[in-house]
Amino acid sequence: MAQHSILVVEDEHTLRRLLEYRLSKLYRVRTAANGEEALERVKEELPDLVVSDIMMPRMDGFALQAELQKQRETRAIPFIFLTAKADESSRLKGRRTGVDDYITKPFDIDALLTRIERLLERTALFQTQLDARIGQDFSKKLMPKALPTVEGYSSHFFNNPKEHGGGDLFDWTEPEPGTYYITIGDVMGKGLQAKFYAFSFLGYVRSTLHGMLRETRSPALLMQRVNQVLMDDPTMEETFASLLLVRWEPAKNELTYANAGHCRPLIVSPSKAEVVPYSDIILGLDPMAEFTDTTLQLSPECAFVTYTDGLLEQEMEGGAQLGEGGLMDLIPGVYREAQPIDRMLEQILAKSTLPEFADDILVFWLERQALRERQAPRWFSPFSDQADRKV
Amino acid sequence: MQVTSMNFTVESWNQQTVVVHVGKALDFRNASDFKAACQEQVRAGVRNFVLDFSETGILDSTGLGSIFSLYRQVSPLDGQVVFAAVSRPVQVVVQLTRTYKVFRQFPSLDAAREAVK
Repeated sequence: MAQHSILVVEDEHTLRRLLEYRLSKLYRVRTAANGEEALERVKEELPDLVVSDIMMPRMDGFALQAELQKQRETRAIPFIFLTAKADESSRLKGRRTGVDDYITKPFDIDALLTRIERLLERTALFQTQLDARIGQDFSKKLMPKALPTVEGYSSHFFNNPKEHGGGDLFDWTEPEPGTYYITIGDVMGKGLQAKFYAFSFLGYVRSTLHGMLRETRSPALLMQRVNQVLMDDPTMEETFASLLLVRWEPAKNELTYANAGHCRPLIVSPSKAEVVPYSDIILGLDPMAEFTDTTLQLSPECAFVTYTDGLLEQEMEGGAQLGEGGLMDLIPGVYREAQPIDRMLEQILAKSTLPEFADDILVFWLERQALRERQAPRWFSPFSDQADRKV
Repeated sequence: MQVTSMNFTVESWNQQTVVVHVGKALDFRNASDFKAACQEQVRAGVRNFVLDFSETGILDSTGLGSIFSLYRQVSPLDGQVVFAAVSRPVQVVVQLTRTYKVFRQFPSLDAAREAVK
């Protein structure tokens, strides 16, 4: 985790430098000489905690605290007052405006450090609990409740979102009977922020899909539109995402996809795994980016397998990451299993240096089953190909 | 395996250009520090960033995201972000995300210096 940032507000030069010096051994410290300057610093970057003098020229500590109370994003920043005024009246005034702590000059620097640490811990604990609750909620919304059920196909899905994991997402829709759009992606970043952006991003993808399907069925054109929308929205400025958009038409056994920098899918059979190679640039970087559709036929007893990068980044014996190659070596071996994804993950963990996956894992396995006719005892059927030929 | 050094260092080449020696890892653990350090440089007037990946073993999606943020920040200011001495693990990520279309790559810091100045 990044170092906590502390804003020291003190008009007296020597004390300000001393505090900066002592605190910077533990925290990232910025300083201001009065309340006005402090507000400037806060505008540049929100501190995790403020240590402020009370008596200062221009804007005093009370006024500064009152200003911070007005804004939603600064209201919860813990605040410690340093003051020479040991008298009861300012103490009471401080309490009334919601000060978190109060230290009287001359003070012991170790006492100040203890209080800072305690306040930061309390804030972090509160934040963690809140994040966990919201994060779980988002994770649920980023994943499907059910999978498509289509005659002749079977599908499997596995997802293991971590509290401090990233913004993996998966979605599918059947906007017209027999045509499915499958979305798998990863919004960059970690923790709640990534999940939040992933949630907003998935909203964009869904609405683009539904809004544009009257004009086009091309995943590449849909992708281009999603990229533009993402780049035009200032609130999504810091959002970058890899995305694989697949149109699946089971009646034709056809998959058409566009890939924006996402992990390359695999075509897996009981004997081998092949990479589906073509992909284009990740979303959110280039407003003029163009994407390309690739169509492939899924043969009987073949599976289209997609996943997110947490799988490939797992550290294996010897220190290297699993990688695309490692996955391809292992995956045909689990093809005939009833729960192929579970078996695959077990096998990866068996050869990993870690007892569990370090990152979020998301895998979608879409398998075309073997043709029914071949399993039936054909010689009894008067309507089979062989029977026709004999006649 | 624990990565012991999470550090990156910033070296100034001229008023507009710095090289960031990325170090062993740029990932979710130090990406926000990286971002803050780069923002500080941009505020000080730096426009061109040469990222030295010669020692980098880990670049995850959070780390890559922080580089993308930097790119989106400096490209409207006619700045650029280029990669130098890209290690194998970094190359894998760059290939996967197809970002070589946006970030120019140079085999060495010297080559980057020639091109960026």
